[in-house]
Amino acid sequence: MLEKALSRLLAGKRPAASHLLLAPAALWLLLFLLIPALGLVALSFAKNGPYGEILWRLSLDNYRRAFDPRYVPVLLRTLFFAGGTTVVCLLLGYPLAYFLSFRAGRRRGALIIALMVPFWTSALVAFYSWIVILGKEGLLNRALLRYRLISSPLALLYTPFSVLLGLVYFYLPFTVLPLYASLEKVPRSLVEAAYDLGATRWTAFLKVTLPLSLPGVVAGALLTFVPCLGDFLTAELLGGPRYYLLGNLISNQFLMAQDWPFGAALTVLLLAGLVAGLWGYRRWEAAA
Amino acid sequence: MATRVTRRDFLKAAVLAPLAPALLSACRRAGSADEVNFYNWSDYIGKSTLPDFTKATGIAVNYDLFADEEEMFAKIRAGARGYDLIVVGDYLIPRFQILNLIEPVPPGALRNMGNLAARFRHPAYDPDETTVPYLWGTTGIAYNRKTLKRKPTSWRDLWDPRYKNRISMLDNVRDCLSVAMQLLGIPETTHAPADFAKVRALLLQQKPLVKMYSSSSYLNSLVAGEIDLAMTWSGDLFQAARDNPDLDYVLPKEGTYMWVDCLALVRGARHRANALRLIDYLLEPKVAAQNADFVRYATPNAAAAPFTDPVLRRDPRVYPPPRQMDALMMHHVLDPEQTETWNQIWADVKVS
Repeated sequence: MLEKALSRLLAGKRPAASHLLLAPAALWLLLFLLIPALGLVALSFAKNGPYGEILWRLSLDNYRRAFDPRYVPVLLRTLFFAGGTTVVCLLLGYPLAYFLSFRAGRRRGALIIALMVPFWTSALVAFYSWIVILGKEGLLNRALLRYRLISSPLALLYTPFSVLLGLVYFYLPFTVLPLYASLEKVPRSLVEAAYDLGATRWTAFLKVTLPLSLPGVVAGALLTFVPCLGDFLTAELLGGPRYYLLGNLISNQFLMAQDWPFGAALTVLLLAGLVAGLWGYRRWEAAA
Repeated sequence: MATRVTRRDFLKAAVLAPLAPALLSACRRAGSADEVNFYNWSDYIGKSTLPDFTKATGIAVNYDLFADEEEMFAKIRAGARGYDLIVVGDYLIPRFQILNLIEPVPPGALRNMGNLAARFRHPAYDPDETTVPYLWGTTGIAYNRKTLKRKPTSWRDLWDPRYKNRISMLDNVRDCLSVAMQLLGIPETTHAPADFAKVRALLLQQKPLVKMYSSSSYLNSLVAGEIDLAMTWSGDLFQAARDNPDLDYVLPKEGTYMWVDCLALVRGARHRANALRLIDYLLEPKVAAQNADFVRYATPNAAAAPFTDPVLRRDPRVYPPPRQMDALMMHHVLDPEQTETWNQIWADVKVS
């Protein structure tokens, strides 16, 4: 019975039936994304009870509080780190993706796997390893001292540098993979045609390859920038107390301040900002 | 003969596979009589205490750790009903009671209750003894004798610009705000917005000096020399000093806090009887002594005293002499409004 039904489905004679193939994913998104997200929106209008319990007296108070000027520095800091990470990832990732798609030859498969290897360990383990490397008595400082390159240990950990390093380390593959995918699609014949018409390598790159890979640049930048905005683990582990980001502000409301409605309001605002940004980008792209 | 997996078998397996975890957990639940789920602070139990308990009783202990009690509170409040037994700080007990998150230990359920010292019986924070004192300690200052030329004596030293980027503060709303209030001469009972503004300002003033707010990982940093001065809980520092003998502990001259961490039954605990057996076991004199010696906090267990390490027993930093002990303050139990304000100030200090 089941087998027959499934094979009929997979044959996809009738479009309505083959749409059913979407059902598991749709159900998943509905149960584990849409419904919780709506719950969060509802929560953001609630009031925080005396001991952190949730009172369903609806108001806009949480949103009013979110626009308190004291949170402006956190927002600016987050934009700075997310933007900085995106720029550094693009600068490091573009040459890498270019190499992978144009020069790597037979080693390409192995190199792409190597790029993904950091994802096989949890971010937590990776960041603790960075702590071991960057600490005052860490591996890096000890090596530098030993070879007399520095005379006293450098402060590397719990600085903006270590936060940026952690973010770049973690998000670089998110930048490289879309870049690689779009560079891979650049028709080699167009580049050759440019050479035939007398373009130098540099001109051919600037006039042909780069413009054709722009969708990948944008996709890579978005895939890096957006998750950076909500990241809290990196700042928590590698940053000192002066580098808390928006993600930390939100997680603090849920875990420390016991103010879930306010945390929900902050989350909704972050989501709304992202959706508005993406929508604006789509409009701009369609118009261009 | 090779077995061939037919497509039909495969489909059946594919349909049944998602159900497997549910089936498995159903089995596990059925055979769960001999276990107890214990949720405790990290580094807060003797090395062999739990294995010994299992050996003695046949009850397996599922042990889970937290590093911040507000986080533990959030988890229990969110309905993490998997836990049977938790460790709760004295001043948090009323909050757990009001929100109905813990159930009282029935009077007379514990054979070893009488082992507790008189001053830990019927305490102000829990006069009906719905919870059981586990260990106690003080909040003070840790410092590195080698790198810090001058011995710190006052909470003020944690605000000294000379120690910029060498200071760590506990990531704990109670300790940080209480100390700020002590320095400002503001009572913990205050409701005045002006007082709270001063407390916030004092903590914000300190923030540029602070390298980290942490309640556990700062110990590694102290051992490694990453920081030289820290607000700490007594036993944690003594544990760290095993790895770096230059570390020492000071009770500040302004006076400081003592706190009692208590064992509490989570409401609706599935393994209530086992949890009670574990509490009773932890109250046994020899067990309590070994436990306290290992974590280097003080035991409230009078019967355990003869079995504790005499070196620790005589160490005034672990067991302050009676006069000093009477000078120790307990944290005031905050009312709901104060709780909210304190938490908000702390969250603001941390992100600003």
